[in-house]
This record gives sequence, structure tokens and C-alpha cells, in this order.
Amino acid sequence: MAAHTDNLLRYRPWRGKPHGPLYASVAMARVSLLLMVRRRLLWGLFALGLLVFFFFFYAQYLVVWITNQLATETVRFAGIPVTIGNLTKFFDRLALNGTAHTFGNFIWYQGYVLVILLALAGSVLVGNDFFHGSLPFYLSKPIGRWHYVLGKCLAIGVFVNLLVTLPAIGLWVEAGVLYDWQTYYLDNFDLLLGILGYGLVLTITLSLLVVATAVWVRRAVPMVMIWMGLFVFLRMLGDQLGREVDPRWRLIDLWNSLYLCGLSCLGAEHVTIRPTPQPEYWEAWMMVGTVCGVCLLYLRRRVQAVEIVS
Amino acid sequence: MSPLIELTGIGRIFGAFTALSDVTLSLPPGRIGLLGPNGAGKSTLLKILMGLIPPSSGTGRVLDQELGGDGDSEGNWRLRRLIGFMPEADSLVPGLTGVEYVGLAGELYGMPRREAQRRAHEVLSYLELEEARYRRVEEYSAGMKQRAKLAQALVHDPPVLLLDEPTSGLDPAGRDAMLRLVTALSTDHGKSVILSTHLLADVEAVCERVVIMAGGCVRGQGTVAELCARRQDHFRLRVQGDPTSFRTELLGAGVRLLEDNGHGEWRVVVPPGWANLSFFKIADANEAVIRVLAPDDETLEELFLRTVGN
Repeated sequence: MAAHTDNLLRYRPWRGKPHGPLYASVAMARVSLLLMVRRRLLWGLFALGLLVFFFFFYAQYLVVWITNQLATETVRFAGIPVTIGNLTKFFDRLALNGTAHTFGNFIWYQGYVLVILLALAGSVLVGNDFFHGSLPFYLSKPIGRWHYVLGKCLAIGVFVNLLVTLPAIGLWVEAGVLYDWQTYYLDNFDLLLGILGYGLVLTITLSLLVVATAVWVRRAVPMVMIWMGLFVFLRMLGDQLGREVDPRWRLIDLWNSLYLCGLSCLGAEHVTIRPTPQPEYWEAWMMVGTVCGVCLLYLRRRVQAVEIVS
Repeated sequence: MSPLIELTGIGRIFGAFTALSDVTLSLPPGRIGLLGPNGAGKSTLLKILMGLIPPSSGTGRVLDQELGGDGDSEGNWRLRRLIGFMPEADSLVPGLTGVEYVGLAGELYGMPRREAQRRAHEVLSYLELEEARYRRVEEYSAGMKQRAKLAQALVHDPPVLLLDEPTSGLDPAGRDAMLRLVTALSTDHGKSVILSTHLLADVEAVCERVVIMAGGCVRGQGTVAELCARRQDHFRLRVQGDPTSFRTELLGAGVRLLEDNGHGEWRVVVPPGWANLSFFKIADANEAVIRVLAPDDETLEELFLRTVGN
């Protein structure tokens, strides 16, 4: 037994063939996700995000059911006659008809939960590396700074897609089942690609923005404040100035710009976008591209070896 | 034996600031201490040795790997696979257990996941963290954190360990244990160790060779015995009996008293042409007994202070 223990405690050499740095990025993403799922608060927000999905899921079903079952009838609710027109007026605002706007609206509303979740996740995933001096741990390994950024972005991307893209695909599948599945899936295959495109735009932009702001402010509270400023204050300001001065002012509302990019992926006609007026699609793409570019430039400057040894 | 490190005229400039200037070194494998005050250029040299930043001038090789190029280049990743770096900063990943932390380090070095996990268990056991493997790293004591940091540097079995202040924050017992461990890794497992520290005692306890840096230049390098000059005119004396008249006569003969500890122990400098027999003659004449007469070689601390010019 003693000999066995002694053997276990001895230092043994390792002579394996190492993988490349992309493998390290995947490992980093997996561990980052592990850190996220250990936070109960994030599970709560994730559940909240699913509530938005279930609302759209059942509302889409309800609209079809109402249309089919009550087309010729009038029902009374608390003594008040409710017609099919009254009921669907509310749902029409959400465009629950399996079109580009259905998925665009779903992702728009899902954004509220997503933004809060990412604001909280940023400090756990990236801010702590700077606050606790873990960056030397990563950068002293055989990886480049972009592998570090990629690892973190992959982890954030998983959350973005779990909350947005996958449920949106679920709604697309449901729409096909509710309408004529033999024609819907073929006729609207471009919508599926549009959903994937919207998800990709969100993944790239939001993951870069999360990493950049977390590198900048590091802690959760300032991170939430900055994100609230970006997605609440700028939205209110952009909305006001967009209506009264110039629609291009709406571009400072990043979520609206992402929404426009998403709708352009989904192939929605510009004139159908609400609220009006809205900037052009290309302007929104430029804005989102600029935000990504600024984040990349900032990360290039901040995530580097000069942090290695204090 | 091919040198561990071979640098020729290495310089590094940050804007108008010269961090390193004309560093030329040839160091064989073994235990090497890197000594120097703050701003001496130790950190910059470490970054260059790890391929994290390229030198502005000069050439060099570490374990036959050419230095230079961007920190994100393939050659520098290959170099970093040969090095295990233990940073001075905490550099732990809060939220991970010890075995997850060391396993992640293994995967960042490119080890397959299963092997990284197995190796993490082995290394943590070797470093006597077996019982704490499943505890979160942020709950570790200072000594355990230092050993966890050493474990992540050792996980891929590198031939070279680069340790930045490994005894920082440790109590005397923990410090002794860490230094014994570092020495054992070199003597028992053939690792070369580069120890960057402010603590001269750590270098004395562990290192065979020392490189002294100040103002971005190498001020001295060699074995500790070589560098601590054997001074022919400095002696330590221990005298029994009344030393008053003995001392008076010594001073009259041109001997200079450097230090008297009040308990009959002196450090003296003799004039040119002095014969050691004269010590005994004067002692005899003054009824004093010399118990110890030994050459007073330079200590590492004196060497350091003399070399850095303070």
C-alpha cells in the first residue's frame, strides 16, 4: 500500500502530442459556461427568457386556433361580445403569423432578458480575469490574445443562441406545423436562414460588446449600469430624436440597429417596420459594424502581454 | 550542453522609455535567479523569454527556439509549450475547483481533456493538494494558492519553469516548503528554473547561478560563488578575552574595523602587505585569544548592493 501511494505521489513526465490553440479556445468556452451555470441568478434569468418564448409559442398557436375555430362565431367574455377581430387585433401587433416580423418581434422582446443576462455574465466571464489577475494565467499559455477573446465570445455566443436563435427556430418549426407544413418549410426556408443570420449578428456583436465592456469596467454593477445606459437611455434618446429630428438618430439605439440588421436578414420589407420612421438597413449595418470594429480595436489594445507580469 | 538561454544584444523600447538595453546572456540549464530592483527590466525580460513581446533589437534563443515575432505567432506558441509560468499575481480563476483549474491549464497547453484531468490529479497530489482538489481555488490559503499556481505551470511537464516571486505572501514554513519543492523539481526531475525575485535569500537557497539587473541592463551574471568576490583583505575575527588593547594595537597597525557586534566578533580590512600571522602576534602581546580567523567573502546582499550601485 505504501509503495502504491508513493508511486501515485511521484512526479511523472508527460509526452503527448498537444492540440492547437483553437482547442484551447473551446476549453476556455466550456469552462466559462461552467462558471455561468453555477450562478443561480443566471438560471432565473434564463427561465424568464423561456417565458417570453412560451408566450410567443402559445400565442401563435392561439391565433391559428382562433382563426380556425371561431371564424364564424362570437363569444361573450364577462358579458361583452368578443369577436375574432378584437382578439386578433392584440396579437396582430406581434405579427404572430409565421412571417419575418414574427421572429423579428420575438427576438426584440427576448432582448430585454438577454441584455440583463449578458450584463451580469460579463463580470463573471471576463471581468474576473482582470480583477483577479487571471489574464496572465491565460496569456502565458501557447495561445494568442484572439484565442482568449474567441473562447469568451464562444461562451457568450452559446447563451445568446440558447436564448434567441434556438427558440426562434422552435417558433419557425411550430409555424410550419400550424400552417401547411408541406409548403411552409419550403416557401419560408429563407426565414430559417434569416433567423440564423440574425442570431449570428447578435452573437458576434453582443459577445464582442460584453467582452469589451467587461474588460473596461470589470465589476458587475458598473457593467449593468453601462448596459442600461446603452440599451435603455440611448434607446429613449434615439426614439425621441428619431421621431422629432432625424430617423438616423435611432441608430444610437444599438438594439434597434441590431433589429434592423436582423429584419434585413429575414428579408422583411423596410416599409413594414414599426415604429416609423426608421433608418435604412445599410445604415444599421454600418452602425453595427462600427460597434464591432471599435470593440475589436479596444480589445486589441487591452488584451495583451503587458498585463502578464505586474 | 546547449545553453538554456542565449541572448545577444537584446533591447526593448516602449515609446521613449528603454526597458531593456543590450542584454547579452548565455545561461546553461539549471536553477537561475533573476535579481533586480523594481524597474530593472526583469518583467520585460521574462515577457521576451516567453515570446509574449518581441525584442526591439538583438537576437536570442530559449531551448533552441528563436525569439522574436509577434506574441501570437506559431513560433512563440511552440516556445510557450516548453515553459511553465507561475505569475506573481493571484491568477486563479474564481469559481473553479483546484482540479478544474489545473485541468484547464493543461487543456490551454493543448493536452487532450482526459489527459489534462488525469495529469491535474497527479500534479496536485505531488504538490500535496490532494485533499483540497475539489475545493474552490478562492477558498485556498496563501500557501495552497501558490502551490496551485505551481501545479498549473507543471501540468504539461515543461522542461523550463519560470517562477515570478513564488514565495510571495508565504509564512516562513510555507516559504521553506516552496523552496524545497522548487529545488526538488530541478534536482530530481531535471527542470530548469528561472526564479525572478526580490528576495536574496530565496536565490541563495535555490539558485546555482544569478543574473543581476538594474536600469534595463545586466550588471552581473555567473554562479553565486563566482560573483561574490573572494576578498583577500577582508577577515572575520572572533576574539576571546579583553579585546580593548588588542583592538587599539590592530588599529595602530593600519587595520580598519568595519563592524564590531559587541560580543567579540569583528569584520576588518587589513592594509596592503599584511601577513595574517600578525593577528596572532598582536593578540599574544595583548593577552587575547583568536578563536576564529576566516576570510570575509562578499555576501549576496553586498554583491547585489554593490552591483546595482546603491
